[in-house]
Amino acid sequence: MFLSASEAKTLAERILSRSSAHACVVRIDGGEDNSLRFARGSATTNLTASQLRLRISSHIGGRIGSVTTTRIDDDALTAAVQRSEELAAMLPIDPDYTPPLGPQTFEATNRYEAQTSGLKLDSLAAQARQAIDESARLEVEAFGCANSALRFEALATSAGLFAYEPRSEIDLSVTARNRADAWSGWAGAHDYRPARLDARNVGQRACEKAAWSAEPIDLEPGLYTVILEPEATAELALWLLGAMDARAAEEGRSYFSKPGGGTLIGENLFDPKFTIRIDPNDKLAPEGAFDHEGLPHRKRAFIEGGVARTLRRSRVWAQKTQAEPVPYGHNFIVDGGATTREEMIRSTKRGVLITRLWYTNMVEPKSLLLTGLTRDGNFLVENGRIVAPVRNMRFNQRLGALFSRLTAIGPTERTWRAAGDGAPAAPPIMVDAFNFSSRSSGI
Amino acid sequence: MLDRALLADLAELTLTTAKRAGATYADIRLGETRREFSFARDARLENFDERLTEGFGFRVLIDGAWGFYGAQRLDSESLRVGALRALDNARAMRSIQKQPIELEQLPAHEAEWIMPMAKDPFAVDASRKADLLLAICASARDAGADFCTASLSIAREERFFANSFGARIAQTRTRLAPSFTAVAIDRAAGRVATRDSLTPARGAGWEYLENAGLIEEASQAGAQARAKLTAKPVTPGDCDLVIDPSNLWLTIHETVGHSTELDRALGWEANFAGTSFVKPHMLNELRFGSELMTIVADRSQPGGLSTIGYDDDGAPADSAEFPIVENGVFRNFQMALGQAHLIGLPASNGCAYADSPTAFPIQRMPNISLRPNPEECSLDDLFADVENGVYVVGAGSWSIDQQRDNFQFGGQLFYEIKNGKRGELLRDVAYQGRTTQFWSALDGLGDAATYHLDGTFTCGKAEPVQLAPVSHGAPPARFRNIRVLNTSNDG
Ligand SMILES: [Zn+2]
Repeated sequence: MFLSASEAKTLAERILSRSSAHACVVRIDGGEDNSLRFARGSATTNLTASQLRLRISSHIGGRIGSVTTTRIDDDALTAAVQRSEELAAMLPIDPDYTPPLGPQTFEATNRYEAQTSGLKLDSLAAQARQAIDESARLEVEAFGCANSALRFEALATSAGLFAYEPRSEIDLSVTARNRADAWSGWAGAHDYRPARLDARNVGQRACEKAAWSAEPIDLEPGLYTVILEPEATAELALWLLGAMDARAAEEGRSYFSKPGGGTLIGENLFDPKFTIRIDPNDKLAPEGAFDHEGLPHRKRAFIEGGVARTLRRSRVWAQKTQAEPVPYGHNFIVDGGATTREEMIRSTKRGVLITRLWYTNMVEPKSLLLTGLTRDGNFLVENGRIVAPVRNMRFNQRLGALFSRLTAIGPTERTWRAAGDGAPAAPPIMVDAFNFSSRSSGI
Repeated sequence: MLDRALLADLAELTLTTAKRAGATYADIRLGETRREFSFARDARLENFDERLTEGFGFRVLIDGAWGFYGAQRLDSESLRVGALRALDNARAMRSIQKQPIELEQLPAHEAEWIMPMAKDPFAVDASRKADLLLAICASARDAGADFCTASLSIAREERFFANSFGARIAQTRTRLAPSFTAVAIDRAAGRVATRDSLTPARGAGWEYLENAGLIEEASQAGAQARAKLTAKPVTPGDCDLVIDPSNLWLTIHETVGHSTELDRALGWEANFAGTSFVKPHMLNELRFGSELMTIVADRSQPGGLSTIGYDDDGAPADSAEFPIVENGVFRNFQMALGQAHLIGLPASNGCAYADSPTAFPIQRMPNISLRPNPEECSLDDLFADVENGVYVVGAGSWSIDQQRDNFQFGGQLFYEIKNGKRGELLRDVAYQGRTTQFWSALDGLGDAATYHLDGTFTCGKAEPVQLAPVSHGAPPARFRNIRVLNTSNDG
């Protein structure tokens, strides 16, 4: 169930007025999601799901009890407030208790379009149809998913904070497989404005990558020059950004810990071409107005020109360390450069073009050793040309080393994420000595 | 407890709407999920949250197209509107329904199933749960950890299911997942070691935690995290592995559980979770592993996270008792409603689940377990035949390709095996393999006395992602000549 700002505020006030705690925080989120999937060009599952959820946190004597419920009738609200207060009274006193935030000023974000007809399932079916038509034209099979969401998030505190942000989202991702089921390609797109999603283009990109009939080549594992398309760059950058936590660094547990104590903030750790930042007003990948604690997002670099600039810092850790809190961002921008993907291919003597990554997982957080596999569009590049599909491989790669040697960097693009998971923007990058550790038969 | 009569009335309302509209099939799941999540870090309780989600999900098949609508509400107006929206959704699929959805008839059961347990975990005071988590953290830190986090996740699903075949089924089940991580640091050397808890998630009541020995385990974990800092680095290369069930469950999950899901083999998950190296034509033909490998599905193991009376299509638990791999040969896919006819079989084998009332039910795993050795064999017997190897305990960083062939798994504790005996602690170990090669290298299995049931709350599949609970039982097992990496040298 989608609530407007005034509806959300009224509901929050109904809850706050029932509170007899020292302080109270109310989070409300909800909306309507639509989704459909197709396989071999034919519909499989679909859904419309309507959600509305309230989280009530009661603060009593340095203790916080929380209750989350989907019930919003008066009796249920009263019961939920009382239960959260009962819980708080039972819990141990929090030695690092942090009171709720008061009023904040937020950036005006732009992730919402009130015109919502393009989000319904019949519109998603029309998008899927365009991708399926591309697969027929290019004589491959199409599998995919189209999602849309109309959602809002609201946060209110007894200290006077009220935050609200609506969001409209649509995304389409397509995996194409050749008719021998022996090669695959993938493409995806996400947008906050339904009309901007180009389904035919997504279908075409996925199907062109899959439309190879040659048997894929098996490469020897080892160190390779790779060209990572934006989707793959964004996935690697997300792991790096995820590791940028002040507490972990200051406690000596992270890549960003300095040997002997302190952090690596201010140090030149990466390639000078490498910048990761968030910005609620960015055109490609706007961050939301506020985080889950109600902290306003501001334009901010985490890594700038290769230098580690900022670590995210929870409100509790900020209070304990007497530093400014820094919210965690889901939408980020990896800054780009001028070398196009085609120029990278032309300048490659022997290397691998990677479309996207799969099942990435941290092996060693301290050294940022990441493993994972290539997927859906891995190609051998020789003497400046794509020459053949290459069977997928597993990599074991330290992210610090990878982002320290960007041979070339291309224009930043929006990348795909399923609606609700944020939407980063990233460039294609070219990197030397990428470590493939073993072969996979998986296509 | 929800009002069953009310739920049954609401269900009738939607099924009647579907029938009038000419639907060939319709079903509805309604009810509530209660969850509780608590989290402690060192000497501080960071979070205690009780969560209640109620709602319904209505699914209708009309002219060979599915339509689904779900909402987090349980009032008759929401269900009335929901039924119409589901019909609209089915009509919206017509333009892309090249292959009509076909269903088999399932028997219509009227039943009630409630998971047995002694103590309702939701009735235990929040203060006791907070004390337990703080005691775990203190115990790990007293024993050598610099930091410790601990959490407890509790869930109860209460559902009423009705379909147009006439099934009317009420079910309730409860599960618990305790978890902690002890962290030790050597600041001078810039080294960090962690040791995650080994106490598994289970379908159980509070009595399970009372007997789980979490505080004692935390003390061992604190000492082991510290010992890992200075453990001997593993020598990379091929060697024999003895894998403890606390690690092997996840290997079974990833390599056997997911590869034998029929929807994956049919390509229905090709865009996200992936397909499978196991194809329909390999049924009864594929040699998956050695003669010792028998892997069975069930929905009846006590404590199993997939143990339940009926699946989310209304298929009874006994239809989910089948071998997946028998003496090394692939015997059965896991199936949900509407899939069996695509490979020439008569009906679903009871493997459907929807992770919330508002989620579309899809094929998910029942409990999937490796049968122990019928002949007597202890853990020491498995070591006895190893000249040079590694004993792997606990699940660590894991990754596998989307067809479930190439995998890499870490762990929590690794011990050298030298000349038939368990030796000293090793560090920086991960093992890599290819699924059928790995299972063909299985040459030793513990007996029933060594069997252990492990599992997870959070197996991810489908778009939008659904998280399913599932258990996997196994004895310790020995695998010959497996590739071991030293993760401090990149591998
Ligand atoms: Zn899984």
